[in-house]
Parts: sequence; C-alpha cells; structure tokens
Amino acid sequence: MPPAVSTPPAPRPGVPRPSALLLALALALCLAVPGLQAAGPGPGPGPGSPGVPGAPPPGLLRQAARAALHFLNFRAGSPSGLRVLAAVLRGRAAVDARRTCRVDLEFTAERYDPEVADGRLGRCSARVVFRHQKPRPAVNVTCTRFMETSRSRREDFLLYKRAKRLRAPLGATSIPNSHGWIDPSLRPIWDLAFLGSSYVLWERTTQTLHYYMAQLSSVNQWKTNEDAIDFDYMVLLHEFSTQEIIPCRIHLVWYPGKPLKVKYHCQELHTAQEGSGTEEGSAVAPTQPNNF
Amino acid sequence: MKLILVFGALLGHIYCQETFVGDQVLEITPRNEEQIKHLVELEAEEHLQLDFWKLPTIPGETAHVRVPFVSIQAVKVFLESQGIAYSTMIEDVQVLLDKENEEMLLNRRRQRNGNFNFEAYHTLEEISQEMDTLAAQYPGLVSKVNIGQSFEKRPMNVLKFSTGGSQRRAIWIDTGIHSREWITHATGIWTAKKIVNEYGKDHTLTNILNAMDIFMEIVTNPDGFAFTHSMNRLWRKNKSTRPGVFCIGVDLNRNWKSGFGGNGSNNNPCSETYHGPSAQSEPEVAAIVDFITAHGNIKALISIHSYSQMLMYPYGHSLEPVPNQKELYNLAKDAVQALYQVHGIEYIYGSISTTLYMASGITVDWAYDNGIKYSFTFELRDTGRYGFLLPASQIIPTAQETWLALRTIMEHTLNHPY
Repeated sequence: MPPAVSTPPAPRPGVPRPSALLLALALALCLAVPGLQAAGPGPGPGPGSPGVPGAPPPGLLRQAARAALHFLNFRAGSPSGLRVLAAVLRGRAAVDARRTCRVDLEFTAERYDPEVADGRLGRCSARVVFRHQKPRPAVNVTCTRFMETSRSRREDFLLYKRAKRLRAPLGATSIPNSHGWIDPSLRPIWDLAFLGSSYVLWERTTQTLHYYMAQLSSVNQWKTNEDAIDFDYMVLLHEFSTQEIIPCRIHLVWYPGKPLKVKYHCQELHTAQEGSGTEEGSAVAPTQPNNF
Repeated sequence: MKLILVFGALLGHIYCQETFVGDQVLEITPRNEEQIKHLVELEAEEHLQLDFWKLPTIPGETAHVRVPFVSIQAVKVFLESQGIAYSTMIEDVQVLLDKENEEMLLNRRRQRNGNFNFEAYHTLEEISQEMDTLAAQYPGLVSKVNIGQSFEKRPMNVLKFSTGGSQRRAIWIDTGIHSREWITHATGIWTAKKIVNEYGKDHTLTNILNAMDIFMEIVTNPDGFAFTHSMNRLWRKNKSTRPGVFCIGVDLNRNWKSGFGGNGSNNNPCSETYHGPSAQSEPEVAAIVDFITAHGNIKALISIHSYSQMLMYPYGHSLEPVPNQKELYNLAKDAVQALYQVHGIEYIYGSISTTLYMASGITVDWAYDNGIKYSFTFELRDTGRYGFLLPASQIIPTAQETWLALRTIMEHTLNHPY
C-alpha cells in the first residue's frame, strides 16, 4: 500500500517558527508548513485534506512547481528536455506583510514527451516568489538531469534537423486534432510550440492562476532556410481556475544550444481576471530574464 | 496501432514530398550501444535523405525510418553488414497512400465487423445508437429513459440498469456535463458496456445490481457536445441564449441550487463559468433535478469530468467539511487505490474546495444537500499534457481504471444503506 503524499500540519497562524525568529519582525508567518519526509509513489490526498490543518491554500505547492518548471523549460531552451510536474514531495510557504508569497519546495519531474517518458523522474528544488496576485513569479530552480548533456544535445540536434526538413502546414490547424492525435512527423512543431509557450505560461502564472497549452491552432510562419528556426504561431491556453481558453500569438527563434528568443501577445479576455489589471502580455524576452 | 501511427505520419509527409513511389518504412531494432551509434551515423548521412521518426536511446528500442526509394539498397546493405535487425513495415508507401487513407487513420469509427469501436471518440448520433443497441440487446437489464429536452430540443436520455424491483435504491452517474471533456462520454459508454458484460460474472457488480439500480446519463450536455463536433472542440457550456445577451451558454456545473452564485462562479454571460440567470434555469439541469427528486431513492451520485486526475466530494462552494467527511475521505482513498492498481495512474483526493478550487452551484453540492450522502466528482486523465484533447488510445485504459473506482463507491453504497 503506497504511503500518502501530503502537505503536513502547520502551526497556528501568528506563531512564528523557532528558526525564523530573526525574520519574525518582518514576516507574519501564516502559512508556514514544516517539511515532511518524501513518500513513495502512489496516489495521495490533496492539500487541505482532513488531518492537515492550516495547510497552504489548495494546490499552492503544485502551482509553484508548475511555475518553476515552465521557467526552467524556457531557460533550458531544449525541446527534448521539456519537463512536466510528476509530484510535489514537500514544501512550505510564507506570506509577508505585503502579501508576497514565498514558496520553497521539492518535487519530481518527468519528460514532457509521453512517448519517451520512461518513468524516470528528475528531482527538483525551487524557490518561487509570487507577488500578491501578480504574474511573473520569481523562480530559482534546479533539477537533476534526466540524461547526459551530450545526449540531450544530440536529441535537440535531431529535432532541429527534422524541423529544417519539415514543410509545416501553414494557416489554421489543429494540433492535436479533436481526437488527441498528433501526426508523428509534425511532432517537432508541437515540441517547439510548447517550448515557446513555456515563457508565456511562466509569465502568466500567479498564486491562483495556472495554464496548460491546449492546442496549436495556427502556424503563421515556419522559416527554416536560415540557421535558426523562426516560428510564428497561435496557441490556445487553458486557464485554471477560470476555465477560460486564451488565444496567444507566439513568435520564437530557436537554435539548439542557444537561448530561446520569444515574443508573444495574448488576447484580452471578456472577463476581468481576479486581482490582475491586465489580461494581455506583450513581452520581448531578454536573453537573460530576471531571476531574483 | 503502430501501423496506424505510421500511416498517419505518412500523411504528414505529403507536405514535404510530392511522390512516395517505392519509398519504404523500416523498423530497426538495435541490439547494443554500438549498433545505436551506427544508426546515429546513418542518420547523419545527408545524401541518404533518411527521415527518422524515433531515435532509439537504449538497446531493444525500435526506430522507424522512412527511406526514399533511391537509398533503400544502400541502407539495407549497411544494416545487414552491421548485423542490425530490421523489418520492412511498409513495402511501398505510395500504394498505401493511393488507397482510402482517411479510413486508415486512428479515428476509425467502426471496427471491421460493424461493432461500436470503444477505442475511438464518437458523435452524438453514434453514442445514441449504441445506447439503443445496448437496450435492445439486453432488454432484461437495460432500458432507455427520457428525462427531458435540451435547450436546442435534443432528447436527454438516461440508461437504466435494473434487475427488477420497484423504485429500488439507486446510483446516478453522469458524464459529459462539460462538452469538451470527451474522455468522459467515452468512459461512460464503455462503462455501460462493461456493466452489461459483467453482470452475472463480476461478483461485486452482480450483488450491486441485484439490490440496486444504476442510472447513467452519458451525454449530459448534448447541445454543447454537438457543438464540439461541428464548430468548437473546446466548448464547455450549454447553448442557451437569452434576448439581449451577447454571449451564449451557461456552465451547467454552476447552475445548481447549492451556494448558487457564490465564489468560483461568474455572473458574466461571456465567462466559461457563467452560472446562469438563476439556479436550475437550464433545462439540462432542471431535467436531472426533476428526475432525481421524483425518484426519491438515489443513494449515490457520481459526476464525471476531466481533466486533472482527482476524485473529490463536497463541498465546492465552501471550505466547511461535510458531516460524513471522514467516511468520504476514506472511501475516496480506497477508490483511488483501486484505480491506481490498474495502470499506476495517480489521483489525488479530498473535498472540491480544498483539492481543486472553490466552485459554487455545482452538481455534487446540490446532491449532497438533497440527502445523497455519497456524492463524488471525478476529474479523469490527464494532468495537462493533452488535457481535453486526450488521445483516443487512452480511452480504454482510462475507462478500465475508472471502472474500479466506480465499483468501489457503488459497493460501499450497497453495504451502507441509509
């Protein structure tokens, strides 16, 4: 019987943890959650389940893990090295007077591509800082490698070569199609689309909002005649917890081993998002994004 | 299955090449690291114009490669000289493409013998037809009950599984209340078939059906579902319209009379979680409310959604725990454990508000407040890789594991009458 993975009990709000005495003046710890030893694989109760009083708000640790992985995926700039969250192992959260939420956590990640996800998990640790209901969380993350650098370089280069030979279907498209099908020959497009989306997904994530890439809905440009892959496309993002579908136009330039360049513009929603003034992000990514 | 992947990939290649006459697709299985190295070298030979779809990483893994006609001899000679095992998957790609390719794609609606293909996603008409087929083939067990009409006047039909009696204690299952969650309809119709197949064979199910009835509404949002086929695959709500309102549709899982209009629902008609003008304003919801209320003996309600891999119980509209929270927690734990045993898929569980998010006016909150102690909601596969566009290849595994969880809940309901 696999043991449960859960976020452990917290002290009552207002009671500072002994090791945080130095920070007690500046921080009002209302969400401190002491770490619990990691449990093995298997299903588990969600945070906030009975017996876990005062745990962080639902899914805050998962939220932080996702933000960390999107950021990592973007920074790594490697379509064959894309990772997704497997499970949160342990974590704690602290909120200060300005309602900035700092999350420290450990989690496991697996390869994004389900065809090659062989059950091998990488271990990650991260610090994620959410400014109160604002997007663009600050991320500091490290993960153990899935495979040697030489192999991931080789796989990236293989993808690059496939991409160079590929004549992408221009215009409106549905990848995956309605039945969840991605043509294997078009897989490089999907992987690059997700890589580019990582920047958007990271930037838009807040304490309470997170995203998945639902579908690639159009390929506006796919230029491979020069060295880099120049890819201009439209994706549909699925937003939790509002359930909205958000179309975003993304333009990326990628060459294996080089930092990814991304520009994007997401369509404004008809509904105002909770606590955030603007629905559209238009950003030119510096090659070295802030990491504080 | 593999063959279908290959065919599908070939169609993609139409974009790159005008003719495939004589091209072959080989399946190569390197036995050791050295052979893998050779394949990598082969791949690097630009003039061969090889198209590797999969590069093996460990010995024993296969690679698929499309080899242009002009390179076939060279490649085969190379493989044979190195003792690398290979087989020809497709002798002549062009011949294949000349046939009816559409038929060969993954989305085959019917198996060759004309039976319903549970491994594929279906239209409203096809699902309705299969429901009729089940009722016709198992008249002693299955009947079709009409509970009302949708906004666009489509019939709302429920399958009733019963071995007799009158107004027996019953279990209600619904799938497809959010139309874009296609895996739920697919799981629903598979489960219906599973029930008729297993009655008399599966000890637990037989006990359940000998004492209780099961009601299953598979396409709970027929208008939305039709719309996901015709126009917008990611449509969630129903299709109701109101004079003077610019946007269409109400979120049927925010329209119930329990905490209606609270946090986690939206009063903007253009929002995906628009709760509607008033509780039960939507015919799809009103029909179920009327049916369950009139029946009066529903003891468990299970509402199935996707995605996130979660099994949850009330409340969604509040953080306040329900009176039998401990029992529901333990039952969810058992159900999720049973599910995990099938394919190793991990679900998390707990109350809706503490596990997923606050949501008001939802089905299970209403059910619970109306005396149905065992009210659960599923969020099926996956956790975001494909989301709503879950590949059809995952339908059967998802349905298989979900069945075990459903059976666990139903068995507990059977053994704990109230």
